[in-house]
Amino acid sequence: MWMAFGPLVKGILQAAVGVVLGASFGDLLAGLTGRSGDREPAMALGYVFGLIGWLLGIGVWDSWAKEWFGLQVKHAEVSGWRRYFRFNMDHKVIGIQYVVTFITLFLLGGLASMLIRVELMSPGRTIMGPNEFNIVMSFHGIVMIAVAVATIMGGFANFVLPLLIGAEDVAFPRVNALSYWVVPPVAFTLVAAMLFGGYDSGWTAYPPLSVHNASGQLLFLLAFITFGLSSILGGLNFLTTVITLRAPGMTWGRLPIFVWSVFAAAIISLTATQFVAMALLTVVLDRVVGTAFYDSARGGNPLLYQHLFWFYSHPAVYIMALPGFGIALEVIAHFSRKPLFAYKWVVGGLLAIVGLSFIVWAHHLYTSGMSDQLHVPFMITTELISVPTGLIFLSALGTLWLAKVWLTTPMLFALGFVFNFLIGGITGIFLADVPTDIHLQDTYYVVAHFHYTIMGGEVFAIFAGIYYWFPKMTGRMFSEGLGKLHFWWMFLAYNATFLSMFYVGYQGMNRRVADYPANLGSGNLIVSIAAFVLAASFFFFVYNMVFSWIKGPKAADNPWQAHTLEWQTSSPPPLENFKHPPRVVGVPYNYGTPGAQHAIFEPMGTGATGGED
Amino acid sequence: MSVTRHVSIIAVLWLVSSVLGIAFSLSIGMLPSPASHEAHVVDSAMTLLTVLAVPVFTLVVIMLGYSMLVFRQRGDVLEDGPSIAGNQRIELLWVGVTLALTIFLAGYGTYELLGLRTHAAQSEESLLVKVTGSQWLWEFYYPKQNIRTFAQLTVPLGRTVQFEVTSKDIVHSFWIPAFRMKIDAVPGLTTRTFSTPDRVGSFIDDPNFRVQCAELCGLAHSAMFGMVTVMDPKDFDAWAASQPTAQ
Repeated sequence: MWMAFGPLVKGILQAAVGVVLGASFGDLLAGLTGRSGDREPAMALGYVFGLIGWLLGIGVWDSWAKEWFGLQVKHAEVSGWRRYFRFNMDHKVIGIQYVVTFITLFLLGGLASMLIRVELMSPGRTIMGPNEFNIVMSFHGIVMIAVAVATIMGGFANFVLPLLIGAEDVAFPRVNALSYWVVPPVAFTLVAAMLFGGYDSGWTAYPPLSVHNASGQLLFLLAFITFGLSSILGGLNFLTTVITLRAPGMTWGRLPIFVWSVFAAAIISLTATQFVAMALLTVVLDRVVGTAFYDSARGGNPLLYQHLFWFYSHPAVYIMALPGFGIALEVIAHFSRKPLFAYKWVVGGLLAIVGLSFIVWAHHLYTSGMSDQLHVPFMITTELISVPTGLIFLSALGTLWLAKVWLTTPMLFALGFVFNFLIGGITGIFLADVPTDIHLQDTYYVVAHFHYTIMGGEVFAIFAGIYYWFPKMTGRMFSEGLGKLHFWWMFLAYNATFLSMFYVGYQGMNRRVADYPANLGSGNLIVSIAAFVLAASFFFFVYNMVFSWIKGPKAADNPWQAHTLEWQTSSPPPLENFKHPPRVVGVPYNYGTPGAQHAIFEPMGTGATGGED
Repeated sequence: MSVTRHVSIIAVLWLVSSVLGIAFSLSIGMLPSPASHEAHVVDSAMTLLTVLAVPVFTLVVIMLGYSMLVFRQRGDVLEDGPSIAGNQRIELLWVGVTLALTIFLAGYGTYELLGLRTHAAQSEESLLVKVTGSQWLWEFYYPKQNIRTFAQLTVPLGRTVQFEVTSKDIVHSFWIPAFRMKIDAVPGLTTRTFSTPDRVGSFIDDPNFRVQCAELCGLAHSAMFGMVTVMDPKDFDAWAASQPTAQ
């Protein structure tokens, strides 16, 4: 038993040593520079050293860094559930580590949202004061952003993408393990920051507020930067994997659409994340070193942060949304039993979104006081994004047209995605338009809008992915009845919650407030009640997943009779993914064409024809 | 059923639901009642966008629902659908229509925005109010009248008010819901906006006559508001005369 958690224990002990060393060093430096009593240098260095200690302990030293010093690396042979608690380099293990970690965080962030809705049930103080409210709201925000960024890109992309392209693993398996193992300290730090006064400036952390508030904010900033590192490494890995590790015959035109969507999102992860790291780092420097990037009295400019922040954070919305499009279209094609409609247009659309996503950031700043002449150009670029996004809807509707729709749980979630994302997209137009945005900016209309794109859109796609790939990941089948109950309950309660939220936003309820004028009371009460019903839907999900994973019936290799490669191997797949490596001979969506094949599998070197489909 | 039959059913459903949807969206008042020239412009833009959004929404939802119900397969043996991978005419039409809609919306938005600015610029007798946000108080200074008030904004009916906004500490945002205007208060920067009140009223009768901080600013963010009063010009002058001059 102890052996199973050995690397974890070692990681925690070394992290503790790192924290003590770093903090002492920080205190020393603070004292030498005449700032004794300022604890933030100690916190910052303690964090950095602690993070390094943790990573070395968890396995970077044993299975990687020793090599740099000419030592022999150890490869511990472990199997079963123990694999998940150590520095494992199998992309399938890492995918499951990511999914389980982030679904847990999703439930934790959801719990925070329940506290928010209890507080907002009625005007005045309900269960917490304004400071606690701001902290809970900020915690909900940053946790859910992390969930939205990493569940698909870390979870499904890891588990499924190498299978979909017929590869044995990702291009850099050790970098992959590293990108997962920096996540636990990030999650821990976001919680531990509560001991240092928490952080009350939302997930956006605008200075000067984020320079002057409690020290918990510093830990928030450091954790956010660390998370960005994980995202950059992931993006690098997936781009390289898709470019270099496609199976013979897997041309760019034959890539499943989910692979394209991850490829597009990975471009953004790799190239945009540095900007937010820079924005956050300058705030860290203002706090810890005493620079004045954002202190206007000393020549700084608070508006600069907002530009840098959104230069990443708007493209980041597409790190969340694009792979969601990919899962939804993938599922819709397989359960419509038809080729994906307008495949090339969708690929073009995904890449066009990547390009456009970099030139729309200032639509977050219409009311920020930036120069007036920037309004019109950013309004135009923002509205242009609806053209490539519209292609996703064209593809979904065209694929469903005259189809043979098999309404399974994953298919329901994919269709729910289309419905919700439609509302998210249409309401986005009201926020892209400058005159209407001037009223709606910073109201609950914005809150409802981005929940429609991220929760109604991406999170529904995540659930489509969970149910779709559950048999492949676990080798077991879930209960369809409970899955459908989960879908309908969640779908109806979700829409009741967030449609009402548009209404209170129109009415003048602004974001991030612990209290509001009495005339908004009834609208908020409806939102809160619907939100509680929505939360209840996740009990069915958790119950279904946990019990099916432990006791569910054994899943067939290809329960959905889908044509893509991940279904042509065993459930779960062997370590090397395919018994015989695939040779791709056709497109993955050739439903309705008798005898068409996506790939053939033949033993290496025999040159035998035929084989399994 | 033939393809033409499917298309005609969907067309009828689309038409009916769009008409009903537009009628419904026009009949319910979603926004607080407007109290400035700019608020009317914003509200009419909101209405136009809603009217355009309804047919887009109904088209997608009806096709989605129709496919789910009519093209559903329930048999024991899994069947494949027809092998249709695309249709160039529909693809081009779709891109063309979405592009045209986008260009129209961008053009319309630009026209409205420039119209708002021109209206404010042409107003001759505007009133200047300097607004300063600080944790957690709004301060209003009327330079011409040399009056300073706290958490109370009083403005005359029918005159464009030019607001020069700044902050003493961190970023706040100056928002009056009934006027549909909003601008951030940024330390070290003076931001500008304007509003032309066209309805007499006060916070007592309408909670949307309030200055609300719209940018998260720490502990008492939700309590950082002020009351707005719009008066007849004569009453405003009397009010201004009755105020002590600022030091």
